[in-house]
Amino acid sequence: MLLDVDQLHAYYGKSHILHGVRFTMPEPRIVALLGRNGAGRSTTLKAMMGLVPPSQGKVALNDEDLAGRPAHLIARRGLGYVPEERQVFPNLTVEENLMMGIQTGAEGAPRWQAEDMYQYFPRLRERRNQKAGHMSGGEQQMLTICRSLLGNPLVLLVDEPTEGLAPMIVQVVMDVIRDIHQRGVGVLLVEQKMTMALRVASHVLVMGHGQIVFTGSTEDMQSRDDIRRDWLEVA
Amino acid sequence: MEFLIVSTLNGVIYGMLLFMVSAGLTLIFGMMGVLNFAHASFYMLGAYFAYTLSGLFNFWVGLIVAPLLVAIIGMLIERYMLRRVHAHGHAHELLLTFGLVFIFEELIKLFYGDFPVSYQRPDYLNFAIFNLFGTDYPFYRVFIGLVALLMFIVLFVLLTRTRVGMVVRAAERLPDTARALGHNVPMVFLGVFGAGAGLAGLSGAVAGAFFPTNPNMALELGVIVFVVVVVGGLGSLAGSLIASLLIGVFSSFAVGLDWSLASLFGLIGLGDWANSLGGLVTMPLSSISATVPFLLMLIVLLVRPAGLMGSKN
Amino acid sequence: MRYALIAILALLALLIIAPPLLGTGWQYALINALIAALFAAAFNLLVGQGGMLSFGHAAYFGVGAFTVIHLMQSVEYGDFPFPTVLLPLAGAAVSLLCGVLAGFFATMRSGVYFALVTLALAELLHSLAPHWDEMFGGEAGLSSMRMPSLGLTFGSTLEVYYLTLAWVVICIGLLYAYTRTPFGRLTLALRDNEQRIRFMGFNAHGTKILVFGISAMFSGVAGSLMAISNETANYSVFSTQVSALVVLHTFVGGSTIFFGPIVGACVLSLFTFVVSGVTHSWMLYQGIIFVLVMLFAPKGIGGVIQAHIEQRHSLPWKRLAAPYALATLAGLMVACATVFVVQSLEIVLSREYAAAVARTGEYAPYTVFGLEWRVFHPLTWLFPLLLLVPGLYMLRRAFARIQTLWDNDESDDDGDIATTPELMEGGR
Repeated sequence: MLLDVDQLHAYYGKSHILHGVRFTMPEPRIVALLGRNGAGRSTTLKAMMGLVPPSQGKVALNDEDLAGRPAHLIARRGLGYVPEERQVFPNLTVEENLMMGIQTGAEGAPRWQAEDMYQYFPRLRERRNQKAGHMSGGEQQMLTICRSLLGNPLVLLVDEPTEGLAPMIVQVVMDVIRDIHQRGVGVLLVEQKMTMALRVASHVLVMGHGQIVFTGSTEDMQSRDDIRRDWLEVA
Repeated sequence: MEFLIVSTLNGVIYGMLLFMVSAGLTLIFGMMGVLNFAHASFYMLGAYFAYTLSGLFNFWVGLIVAPLLVAIIGMLIERYMLRRVHAHGHAHELLLTFGLVFIFEELIKLFYGDFPVSYQRPDYLNFAIFNLFGTDYPFYRVFIGLVALLMFIVLFVLLTRTRVGMVVRAAERLPDTARALGHNVPMVFLGVFGAGAGLAGLSGAVAGAFFPTNPNMALELGVIVFVVVVVGGLGSLAGSLIASLLIGVFSSFAVGLDWSLASLFGLIGLGDWANSLGGLVTMPLSSISATVPFLLMLIVLLVRPAGLMGSKN
Repeated sequence: MRYALIAILALLALLIIAPPLLGTGWQYALINALIAALFAAAFNLLVGQGGMLSFGHAAYFGVGAFTVIHLMQSVEYGDFPFPTVLLPLAGAAVSLLCGVLAGFFATMRSGVYFALVTLALAELLHSLAPHWDEMFGGEAGLSSMRMPSLGLTFGSTLEVYYLTLAWVVICIGLLYAYTRTPFGRLTLALRDNEQRIRFMGFNAHGTKILVFGISAMFSGVAGSLMAISNETANYSVFSTQVSALVVLHTFVGGSTIFFGPIVGACVLSLFTFVVSGVTHSWMLYQGIIFVLVMLFAPKGIGGVIQAHIEQRHSLPWKRLAAPYALATLAGLMVACATVFVVQSLEIVLSREYAAAVARTGEYAPYTVFGLEWRVFHPLTWLFPLLLLVPGLYMLRRAFARIQTLWDNDESDDDGDIATTPELMEGGR
């Protein structure tokens, strides 16, 4: 089992945000994590990554439970994270940003090189020595994804990668995610744009009030108007 | 003329010394948000350790080992005290470091006595490097300046050209993101804290042999260092450097000047009237030289809290 | 609530009846404890209730002191008759003024920056004062003498004590009443949710200035009382030590409850009085106590007492008795060992001892705890170790047990992390 999350609970201060999240990813897939704002999608990713300490639960990567460990150790075991709002290091150059992402990575994970990244996005090579803070949103998004890839992850947790990006760039980002998956990396994608997400993902998780309220394939999801109405639409 | 040159020289060197001590403080604040009241205590510990070590072995052993000892103490404090209190908020961290100031001062008094100790530089460093207008200028002052300069260069190279420095710079901005990329940020913080402490210790070790080494060192220097980091901008190394030089040079000059507000009025012919007012108006600059840095700090805090070069917040 | 009232009345009665029976030494110590308690209570108005941590409160304490000294001099030289018993009023007025002025600027910032502004203001005064002879008497300071008032000569310490007691009780009463008023509640809101106040239509900046001013005013009363008691004031009253001491008192006592700082001030003040007569290292002990409280009891003594009172019905007292007793015993052992080491070092490392060694060439035995110890005797080294190591071990075990019992008790509610309420977040 590549990824097994069970009974995950988490708090922000005294607010109980995650109420026992559970789902699995048996082999590398693209799984979309949908839900309204405030449902707990970002928190789920952060709790898995150890940025928010889970109060209880299991996060097993290749059958090794990582829950409760420090974030940097979780990252080294093969869980990658592309944060909401990109979070490039603005005072570092593009090249230094990429270097920050390099690590040995987990056994059996697909390997990536900095050269691959420059091939993917020639724009990055052009801006190699520029401070990352001066780049456009789309360029920063590319940078963040590449940066996380250089850590050779088994599973990549991606949080709202297309937020605030022009449609053309959105397309590029989605293509990259498809590519990553084809190379053998699992992707858990939190995305607001449901139609976008359903185009790349093979499976769907819907979150509501800190819990998973629907698990299924994308086809199943297409026919479930009730789920869409109850948990996704803003009415 | 003599006054001008000597004061400038002294001022620049004093400024470099201030920078050595404040560099650590501003780095630590920029990275961890902790304003370490006990930072100047590291300066004092450096001086005293160097004094003991130079007595047991020689001056150079003191100069090299004392900062290392202080760095270790700094790391112990971060790991076992600050980290424990971190969950309770920044104010608690501040208060804890506050308490440490007293403990360090009292421990020094316990071990060394409540009076200055005779920490001396070795004789071969005790010569005049040049002769200015009839007075000898001590080489050791220049030595202090050289050590500070060297330290600045090393720091600069480390931060901008090494992988460790890159991680420090990244973690200073976005610590969580750095963690999520596999970097052991808590360890980085520990290292930075230790390095900052060690730097302060080094300045103590070097300066203590020239300036008085007494249990009051920490308090005397501590407040000025605060002024420096505020004026320079909390978290900015470059700002600290500029502010240190500014305050260093100013302090050097001010001590020898007898200007006052009244004398300023005198320039436009109202001297007698101004002098009759007494009080603040007639106070010479030399007397209030200690006050001006605080005035500067106040102005900076109220007008532009980011200081000269700060960019955070 | 009734128990609290009875306890307070009993304490008051004691404070009124007992002092004539104690010597002037204790009376003087009590005066200082009372002054420290008022200062701490005033300070906590700003810090604990308003959420603004000030590191320069000595400024307002000092302003009160100097105001009174000037006034006392006027009375003494016959320029201006002013009843001695009402002197603190003058100190209060001037401190209020200064507080409002200072507060106007200080409250423009928050968090660390606020603290630094208060520090800068105090240091400004502190560095200026020794050079300003007319106002502050230069380095020596100013002195005066208490003049008779209301038929009392105020020549004896006891009379000063009762004057101090009256003022302190009244002021603390006023401060407590303040917390009960709607404005007092608003002050708490300042700490917890400043934005909310603005949305409600209050002028947050103005409110903060007022709170700052009131805090400064009562600090000024404390300073006034000290000037009356000591009949002198000099620039050191503006020093960081004075600002630091009130911070120490407040947080050892606990800033989250009203009586915390008062408890802290009294305990530490009297501790200092008792201990400083016996050893030079009393400041070290004070510092150690403060750091230990910060590390292990972040809410202070008051906070610990309050937690016990609040949970008194749900705590498993019978099962707690044993670990508490163990912790107390272990604590005493560790304290004993520490004191032994510090006192030994104090004696053996002192100048006198070094001189004696130089003279006689041998390390004479010294006295601690009423027993004689030889410097290089193994027992001298073993004694503290035998107390310290098992003591620390027992302490850890006892605390682990106590923690478990408390956690089990709190598993119903969400637990309470002792957080300094938003004092340092933000920073502007």
